Amino acid sequence: MVAAADSDGALAGKGGAVTVRAPVPLFRKPSVIPGFGLTLGFTLTYLSLIVLVPLAALIVRSSSLGWGGFWSAVTTPRVIAAFEVSFGLSFAAALTNAVFGFLVAWVLVRYDFPGKRLVDALVDLPFALPTAVAGIALSALYAPNGWLGKPLNELFGLKVAFTPVGIAIALTFIGLPFVVRTVQPILQDLPAEEEEAAASLGASRFQTFRSVILPAVLPALVTGFALSFARGVGEYGSVIFIAGNMPGLTEIVPLLIVIKLEQYDYAGAAAVGTAMLGVSFLMLLILNLLQQWMRSRHAR
Amino acid sequence: MAIQVSGITKRFNDFTALDSIDLEVRSGELLALLGPSGSGKTTLLRIMAGLESPDAGGLLLNGEEALGLKPRDRQVGFVFQHYALFRHMTVFENVAFGLKVRPRGQRLGSAQIRQRVTELLELVQLSPFAGRYPAQLSGGQRQRVALARALAIEPKVLLLDEPFGALDAKVRKELRRWLRKLHDDIHITSVFVTHDQEEALELADRVVVMNQGRIEQIGTPAEVYDHPASAFVYEFLGQVNRFDCTVEGGVAHVGGGALTIPTEGGVQGPAVAYVRPHDLGVTPATAGPGRISGIHVVGPDARIEIDLAGLALEAEMDRERLATLGIVAGDRCAVHIDRARVFAR
Repeated sequence: MVAAADSDGALAGKGGAVTVRAPVPLFRKPSVIPGFGLTLGFTLTYLSLIVLVPLAALIVRSSSLGWGGFWSAVTTPRVIAAFEVSFGLSFAAALTNAVFGFLVAWVLVRYDFPGKRLVDALVDLPFALPTAVAGIALSALYAPNGWLGKPLNELFGLKVAFTPVGIAIALTFIGLPFVVRTVQPILQDLPAEEEEAAASLGASRFQTFRSVILPAVLPALVTGFALSFARGVGEYGSVIFIAGNMPGLTEIVPLLIVIKLEQYDYAGAAAVGTAMLGVSFLMLLILNLLQQWMRSRHAR
Repeated sequence: MAIQVSGITKRFNDFTALDSIDLEVRSGELLALLGPSGSGKTTLLRIMAGLESPDAGGLLLNGEEALGLKPRDRQVGFVFQHYALFRHMTVFENVAFGLKVRPRGQRLGSAQIRQRVTELLELVQLSPFAGRYPAQLSGGQRQRVALARALAIEPKVLLLDEPFGALDAKVRKELRRWLRKLHDDIHITSVFVTHDQEEALELADRVVVMNQGRIEQIGTPAEVYDHPASAFVYEFLGQVNRFDCTVEGGVAHVGGGALTIPTEGGVQGPAVAYVRPHDLGVTPATAGPGRISGIHVVGPDARIEIDLAGLALEAEMDRERLATLGIVAGDRCAVHIDRARVFAR
């Protein structure tokens, strides 16, 4: 298909002189921007090599189990529990990030204060830090005898490390930049005039926020949420140190896959991986559709 | 409702945007704030609306101190230059916004809101577009939505910031007439900001000419055009010939005696004279001191460029008059000016 589009372009170029029009694919609208065939070809090839081929290999590998084998491999209580932990806690962490990441972006965009650039740079730290380092730091901090873990346990009876709460904290840590960095530019470009208009029309600050600012920022916020969520689902390094990794309670899917690999159960690992791929894809698809629906309401 | 501005001063860092402004907007009038960019006119308007707070001075809305009031409590309708419509709301929702955000006690029922918005959309002739989003409207339509939205809250004062600034010439003219008619119908005290002198002169009951944070002149369009109070107003309003001269005993001598003009104002010595192009008379004269250096016909009018002893002047007349005179570029001519306004140099 890629090659066909390319040669069509070449034909059109040569045929110009004899006024014969080369057939153009139906989906393609006439455009003055050149290079459609070349760029689409490159895009598809690149995506295939980088994304599709490895994923296909994963599916092929797990298919050696057959439907029955696949089903029984991914529906054991331990696997299902791991799925619940991974997706449930990633969701909770992404939700937390959506709220507080929005706040951070708001403060960084709206106010001037000394050290603002430093705070701005700090936001990116979870991106740059090796996740294992973050995991070790967090587990040291929240361990029962750690700086934060000890007072939390003594004052509130709250155990953080080696519980689902700890996993959620690690996932929140690594997901924060996604929300801040997607919301920040949108907030920056938000025209002050719309807020002034709302104010002069009699809206309170809360009403202005709810009906003017939030709808404008929401698509970006959902994108940030989705990215943070996807990152959380796939996270391994920072979680395994703080999780405690008790099967059925604080064991995440990526760890389960690693365990299966260590037991030379390659097909089983691939099956769990495939199931994870399916669920992730479905969730991101839903989030994308949600975004599309929100954008269509802008009628842009 | 009348607006009283007294001693309003506003500085942005070391730039003085407004320098002790005193101004009274009379109830029911349509007032234009006219000036070049940076003259402080928009800042003054935003202070009236409560979107900006002055460094010093007082503001009375209908006799009551208003500087402490928030924008939402001032009952002021504000129309922005770039419309500032809510992008994710339809035209209907935009206009209804001000009615829907009222506190529960003062809020109209949804049927009444619907009726009021429908009426307003009829007023601005946009009923068929109620379900559209701002992005689907033309500039003129958007500005009318912005106007309907501002009028929905039944403001006591309507403030418009360069309301036609972002529109093309034809739409601008139509919308201008339409706004004038609307004002004649509802008589709401209105202040609009513009840098377009034609717009100010055509639309406003009174014009306030501003420059560098000060008021240069306040008056009816005819007053400010015919009797400019300062050299700035003369230059800013309409086309004008500006040349140096020497005044002796009420008579200005121009270009080393090539032209003498009776003056008004009692200035003596070196001065600057201002003459409108249509006040400048041209007659063909083979031995005249002037030379026609160019003729440009623009629509029904003709602009004639004259070189008078090294001085470039411009005259304006209609095409018929030009044909009667029968002058062409390169001819010698005589120039006469009935009166000139001079300001000391």
